[in-house]
Amino acid sequence: MPARDPAVLRIALLALATALVAALALGLGAAGWDWQLVVTLRAPRVAAAAGVGSLLALAGLALQVLLRNPLADPYVLGHSTGASVGALAALLLGAQLWIGAASGALVAGLLLLWLARPALAAADDASPKLILLGTMLAAIFGAVATLMLALVPDERLRGAIFWMVGDLSGADASLWNLVAAAVFVAWLWARGRSVDRLMLGADAAWLLGEPVRRLRLELLVFASLAVGLAVSTAGSVGFVGLVVAQGWRLAGVLRTRELAVLAMLSGAALVMGADLLARIAVAPLELPVGAVMALIGAPCFIWFLARSVK
Amino acid sequence: MSDTPLLETRALTLRAAGRLLVDGLAWRVHAGERWCVIGRNGAGKSLVLRALAGLNVPERTGDVLWQGRPQGDWPAGAAATLRALMPQQPQDRFALTVERVLALSEVATSGSSPSELLSALDIAALAGRRVDQLSGGERQRVALAQCAMQGAGLMLLDEPVSFQDPAHQQLVGRWLTQSAGDRAWIASAHDPSWIARVATHVLALSGDGGWQAGPVDAILSAPVLERTYGCAWRSVEGAWLPA
Repeated sequence: MPARDPAVLRIALLALATALVAALALGLGAAGWDWQLVVTLRAPRVAAAAGVGSLLALAGLALQVLLRNPLADPYVLGHSTGASVGALAALLLGAQLWIGAASGALVAGLLLLWLARPALAAADDASPKLILLGTMLAAIFGAVATLMLALVPDERLRGAIFWMVGDLSGADASLWNLVAAAVFVAWLWARGRSVDRLMLGADAAWLLGEPVRRLRLELLVFASLAVGLAVSTAGSVGFVGLVVAQGWRLAGVLRTRELAVLAMLSGAALVMGADLLARIAVAPLELPVGAVMALIGAPCFIWFLARSVK
Repeated sequence: MSDTPLLETRALTLRAAGRLLVDGLAWRVHAGERWCVIGRNGAGKSLVLRALAGLNVPERTGDVLWQGRPQGDWPAGAAATLRALMPQQPQDRFALTVERVLALSEVATSGSSPSELLSALDIAALAGRRVDQLSGGERQRVALAQCAMQGAGLMLLDEPVSFQDPAHQQLVGRWLTQSAGDRAWIASAHDPSWIARVATHVLALSGDGGWQAGPVDAILSAPVLERTYGCAWRSVEGAWLPA
């Protein structure tokens, strides 16, 4: 019975593809195959890429439902740059990096929800306004991060490329990111039906008996934690949530439960693949993974936007 | 128990942008009753339905009781089995299918299976289609089916036939006439002839706070219709026509 379920087949195939990408990312590189190198250098970086990709994909999925906008993405809407500012502040204050980053993402998210409140409450489509507001928030947080880096030269702060575009060189293995992604998926699985109903609209979900306020708060907190963890590992890598979650939606996957599992796997595969490209495209030089992701993601955003008639 | 109205309002007063729309509405709706709310554009029909459903409305005083208890005392989950609301314009942002939307709308057993409902409302052929790609009339019948799938005792319907062609107005009217039973519904509508066929009671809003509620024969009269819509009406062989 389960074997005939297309969802199970999709997940199994995708898990296989993700494992293949991981193997390629471990095996390929400027220095060729060297067991020592694979274990000490590539494996931590591949694990970091997988964790960051899963978290960002899940954050995108959560934000899309929260804001009822299929084009929502933590990078496009300023959550990632908010997390960068939070992380920089934490570094300067000597606090935990990921806590600062998660707080920054949460503040950015609350700010966006508050600014977009009239648009979200109105009956007409809030998408253009929401995207523009998010883009401007991203610009503001980006400027603040740049100013912090310029005004407080500090060895402990990483460079502007890391905070603005995202970079995985020298990233820690951070297996916690993978654990956090698994917890996020488990939560989305447990709340699957409620999150599905939230896609019908906040009023509609409330009329069906869903605890809408709590649900939306949980979505925001989970997304902010995920973005915070991802940004403190790799800086603000963009478009993962957009490409992965909306990509699967356009492919016809609409149930939150299946979408969460697929998003985690393909988010991991996407960032591992992008980082592989970043390492080998112009070897021995290394590109920042965020630039590669933007070159993949931004055209996708334009394509999604162009084909959405409404 | 059987005497407790499904819905009761006590001194319900609604304003919008400072304008008084409904003043001191005292009203009871019992199981088996089929109500239509009439009033000119902007008279507050949608606002009344939203308030009855428990959704936020800008300026509101007075009480709404569901089965004798103030609506605020019901937890959201229990409230979902008491009342359902069909909005005038569903807000589709995601490419969900009709089948999926109906499955998500099921709360209590409604007595009719999804397939019965789909064929009764002539949307069986749309089951696999995306809701954001339906025509206005098709989407409206799907919204009606969503509302029915919830299985609530009271259905609040905001203009269920405004986009329907004449044949589907009749179809929806027939379905609504049969569907009350031990339940009830309240629908905003405009065509007095259609209302005369499907409703048992009418609530007329004059738009300046005034209202009149009662059996359909008592309310659908030339003077009330004239006061409601601001134009003269005449009855020709059971059909109401603006003069």
